[in-house]
Amino acid sequence: MIKSKLSLALLALIAVFSLAWLPLRADAGEPTNQVKETVDAVMNILNDKELRKPEKQKERRTLIRQTIIKRFDFEEMAKRSLAAHWKDRTPAEQKEFVALYSDLLENTYIRKIERYENEKVVYYDEKLDGDYAVVKTKIIKKEGISIPVEYRILRKKDKWEVYDIIIEGISLVNNYRTQFTQIIRSGSYNDLVKRLREKVIK
Amino acid sequence: MKKIDLELAVGIFLLIGILSIGYLSVKLGHLDLTGKRGYTIHAEFEKAGGIKPGAVVEIAGVEVGSIKNIRLNNNAALIELTLDDTVKIHDDAIASIKTKGLIGEKFIQITPGGSENILPTGGKIRDTESAVDIEELISKFVFGKV
Repeated sequence: MIKSKLSLALLALIAVFSLAWLPLRADAGEPTNQVKETVDAVMNILNDKELRKPEKQKERRTLIRQTIIKRFDFEEMAKRSLAAHWKDRTPAEQKEFVALYSDLLENTYIRKIERYENEKVVYYDEKLDGDYAVVKTKIIKKEGISIPVEYRILRKKDKWEVYDIIIEGISLVNNYRTQFTQIIRSGSYNDLVKRLREKVIK
Repeated sequence: MKKIDLELAVGIFLLIGILSIGYLSVKLGHLDLTGKRGYTIHAEFEKAGGIKPGAVVEIAGVEVGSIKNIRLNNNAALIELTLDDTVKIHDDAIASIKTKGLIGEKFIQITPGGSENILPTGGKIRDTESAVDIEELISKFVFGKV
């Protein structure tokens, strides 16, 4: 009698644990899948011979931009880059800053990405920690050099959005955070906006 | 009677000597006997790059704590930091392992964040930058171009 009660309790316990385990299991790999989806889409645009023609350059750039925007959370990146100074800004200033920051990233990185061709991407690790995840990849170039690229992502509802990229061990957000803080400290927030504007127009 | 006085004096002198040596070794060895100073947080790095316990933690070049312990956790380096009580770290702070000069000692630099959440005792800095392996970078340049 006691034994059967005990085994029943044990069974119930196992049932509860396996239920708790289920959603976790379904989650594993999801961040990688979502990052992979975006990276593959960008690679497809880059490898498209039709789009590589000079007259289609603008169209190609727009396509790349649209694909990236879906996965990258520019607002979160801008917020993290401004760090302590984000709170001091009015909502209108924040909005303007996010727009400038996205343009800056676009000008700096999309032009670099455009030159890539026939690179392979390997996904070798993923770490999940609550609503945060890290997806580790390597870009293998034609000559065989590999460049480690890490995506730091954050879950917003069902979507995983990138908030930082670490290339060769260097964090993009930290790079801008250090520079922005320095500019604001030695001048003012307006100086920073002015410099960003100049950089974006170039 | 006099003999006992002399022995007592030598005994006291020795005792003072031993105490001084004890004090010196605690001071010089940066031993924390009380264990009360500061609070602990964690940071996980992909590569510790030879950083040692006792290494300095800095914010804006100012020393705010030190490394208490380093161990391996899931093939990553889990570093335990002891920080001064007055220092508050936001949960979007970034911790990086840096080198003083080109070949100097390693230390941890924290770039403060600006989020609403402050890390509690035992909390974890999520965003980290590992030590940059200069040799690896050089080898990429040296052997990379074919």
